Amino acid sequence: MNARANKNHLTSIEPAYYEAVTEAIRKEAVKILKEETVVGVVGYLPGRRKGTATPALVTSVEEAEKLIFSPACVNNLSVYLTKAKKGVLKQGKVGIVAKGCDMRALAGLMTESQLQREDLFIIGVVCPGVYGFGVERTGTLTEANIARKCRECTVHMPEGADVAAGTHAELADLTPEEAEEMARIEAMPQAERWAFWKEHFSRCIRCMACRQVCPFCYCEQCLCDKNRPQAVESSPRPAGNMAWHLVRAMHLAGRCGGCAECERVCPMDIPLNLLNRRMAKELKELYDFEAGLAPVEKGPLNQYKEDDDQSFIK
Amino acid sequence: MSRIGVFVCHCGENISRTVDVERVAKAAGEIPGVAFSCDYKYMCSDPGQSLLKKAVAEHKLDGVLVAACSPRMHEKTFRKATESAGLNPYLCEMANIREHCSWVHEDREKATEKATDIVKLMVERVRKGKSLAPITVPVTKRALVIGGGIAGIQAALDIADAGHRVVLVERDPSIGGHMAQLSETFPTLDCSQCIMTPKMVDVANHPNITLYTYAEIEKVDGYIGNFQVTVKHKARSVDQSKCTGCGVCMTKCPKKKIPNEFDQGHGMRPAIYVPFPQAVPNTPVIDRENCTMFQSGKCGVCAKVCGPGAVDYEQQDSFTVEDVGAIVVATGFKLYTIDRKPDDSPIQGYGEFGYGTIPDVIDGLTFERLASASGPTGGKILRPSDGKEPKQVVFIQCVGSRAREKGISYCSKVCCMYTAKHTMLYHHKVHDGQAYVFFMDARTPGKGYDEFWRRAVEEEEAVYIRGMVSRMYQKGDKIVVMGSDIQVGVQVEIEADLVVLATAVQAQDGADLLAQKLGISYDKYNFYSEAHAKLKPVECATAGIYLAGACQGPKDIPDTVSQASAAAAKVMTLFAKDQLERDPVVAKVNEKYCVGCFACKKVCAYGAIEEKEIRDRQGNLVKKVAYVNPGVCGGCGTCQATCPSKSIELDGYTDEQIMAMIESL
Repeated sequence: MNARANKNHLTSIEPAYYEAVTEAIRKEAVKILKEETVVGVVGYLPGRRKGTATPALVTSVEEAEKLIFSPACVNNLSVYLTKAKKGVLKQGKVGIVAKGCDMRALAGLMTESQLQREDLFIIGVVCPGVYGFGVERTGTLTEANIARKCRECTVHMPEGADVAAGTHAELADLTPEEAEEMARIEAMPQAERWAFWKEHFSRCIRCMACRQVCPFCYCEQCLCDKNRPQAVESSPRPAGNMAWHLVRAMHLAGRCGGCAECERVCPMDIPLNLLNRRMAKELKELYDFEAGLAPVEKGPLNQYKEDDDQSFIK
Repeated sequence: MSRIGVFVCHCGENISRTVDVERVAKAAGEIPGVAFSCDYKYMCSDPGQSLLKKAVAEHKLDGVLVAACSPRMHEKTFRKATESAGLNPYLCEMANIREHCSWVHEDREKATEKATDIVKLMVERVRKGKSLAPITVPVTKRALVIGGGIAGIQAALDIADAGHRVVLVERDPSIGGHMAQLSETFPTLDCSQCIMTPKMVDVANHPNITLYTYAEIEKVDGYIGNFQVTVKHKARSVDQSKCTGCGVCMTKCPKKKIPNEFDQGHGMRPAIYVPFPQAVPNTPVIDRENCTMFQSGKCGVCAKVCGPGAVDYEQQDSFTVEDVGAIVVATGFKLYTIDRKPDDSPIQGYGEFGYGTIPDVIDGLTFERLASASGPTGGKILRPSDGKEPKQVVFIQCVGSRAREKGISYCSKVCCMYTAKHTMLYHHKVHDGQAYVFFMDARTPGKGYDEFWRRAVEEEEAVYIRGMVSRMYQKGDKIVVMGSDIQVGVQVEIEADLVVLATAVQAQDGADLLAQKLGISYDKYNFYSEAHAKLKPVECATAGIYLAGACQGPKDIPDTVSQASAAAAKVMTLFAKDQLERDPVVAKVNEKYCVGCFACKKVCAYGAIEEKEIRDRQGNLVKKVAYVNPGVCGGCGTCQATCPSKSIELDGYTDEQIMAMIESL
């Protein structure tokens, strides 16, 4: 593969790379705001503390010149475009800064009629990775402080953006910790695996942060909030917790793009992305489908084909 | 508090044999909100229904539950009774304690408990049920008939004669089907063509019939009363509007040695051809695979000689969409071949008969063509290999049929009779010839059928040998047929000049694919399934689609014609009303919470879901939501299962009802 051969395999990504990306984003954002191609740009501004960034909707050239990109830009910005959140799209075409994982969410949202491609100006970012949580946030991105999901990232190059900021760059030879953890859990006997998840879910406090941050949880009324009839118990008790997390995982099957925001925001450190990845693996094996690589007309779980795998019918 | 009445049926002894119905009725009476309960021997009988109506009035019931058989059996009956008692019919439900309980259990104690549980949960469904109003949809009084054999022709003519428009679609260049290939027909020995061709001409001339030959069904949308069928018109390479049917093109075509399918490959035809002289329509088609013009670009003789300039090499497949209210499927059959089948095929060939490699071993339809005055030999019975008149002919029945080890267990029904007919035709044409028949049984139910068979044996000198043939092989110009005569208990060996196999009747190629387009069911042999083997023999389980002829199972001509007329009668019944009443069990969208992901639209098999715009008073678009067209919705509930926020629900099966049912247990 040529793309692979062209990649720069580095042991660390220096701040200079992010500065170059920041420049490119600023230039593009200023341009599209000046030309009035868009009414605003969803991007990142510096956070109040050092080594942080905050999502923002900028609507003026002055603000656009303050946009940044750094390893602290962890948030999936696509969530700011969906109906249940801000409704910024109402005013006109919107620009958005998108990493590879954000792009997958955007593609998924287009598949589900929540976004129209023509309403967006996508500034794609060639992202080498972002900080994990609870790590040293110095300017340099290294194997020590990169997020777990980024260690196995397959979408450094965002496909389908209007412009791309940055050049190929990624950290070399990282151990796939998440894949290893998945393999470890799958190797467990069923009862042990059940106990593993039961323990994790029992700690859930039902703060619903995972739902709030998920680009795909855009329903105006979540099934789990319905009380007539009540399908899922809403107070944080083991049975209801289990039900909520299973519903969450099932509803994301074939949709989740793997941004792992749910896991990042979880105050109880429940490894939610493992569930997401398990469902994605199922989809890959059964239907050779990976969610969000490009908008599709119908996902595999929303269509019937005569040659669909039926081995699960026993 | 609701006032529900529960009526527990004994179904004679069908239920009460295993279930203590009195105890079920008593337990039902104790459920809160049940105002009345009783048991009765036959709830569906007239006194049973009167009991229901009386109870509704006396006890001021606001809901009815009949615990009896499957709702498929009697839901309509009891909803009608409920309606005449003054309640909305959809406030009546059935608890199935027969198929789901008494018929499948033996332990009386446990079955009674289960029946009580079924009643309990269905009471909850009634309690949460809503009054529904029936949906009316207009009926397009135009029918589609698929297949132009005798079944399709009969159905089309009957419907057209009743004053309704009919579209008849035939896959081949001409209508007529297999019946047009036959020489004489049993049990009267009248000429098939003589009784068939006038009907074909009637079709062509009928003002109410639109005939599409060389056309196939591409796609079927819609539902009873309102189907939209896309028909693919295969490129004929001849403009039907210009062609006069003079036939000069066929005589001038330089490529004349193509085996004619109509003569089972034994006669020859040119590349531009009509399958047989009496074809309807009499417009030729170009067989592009064998035409020099299409293969090498050089020739063009037919275009040069065609006076009206009808030959059009550039013609492409075209499509039309036909709006019809009912569909009659009459796609007929094909004959089993004894050649080697693929390893994964459930049907096997006959290695012991040489897998079809011996030229003078032919099937019944080929014999029909040899005996037919319009056939390749002009009606003389001459064998294919050397054109000599065969003096000893062996007929073998049940080749493929009733042979479970070969993959087909059914009886092909027509072979006993046509083999008897073949021996007679042979005897009439070759006076010094001898016919032998190997047979398992002679099955001759039908008017005049047994007499016909006895005539073959007693008057026409056919030798019937009860037994099967184990092997046959070529020896010089003879075929040695080795079989057994199980009545005498000896091995028989006959040196035959010609062997005729009564091969099994099979469903047409592609029958399964057509069924999938139509949404009708089929059995493992690809024969189409009727809705009920005895009481609904011409209807499909899919409303508005009817069956005629051998596509449903092997049939002779009288049965086929009867069924075709029956299917036509069903279509006329449907067309007798301007509006069709439909069950209001359809999905509804909660527009407040729908976020317009349209997952429901993607999964809807009926194409019932549309996008609807919600606008504020200034006309600004607020959002797009799903909308269910109640006329199109089939009430399957797939959308309900798919909707992530449960903003779409099926009336009569709402989440609230289902949850209440679960919680009652």
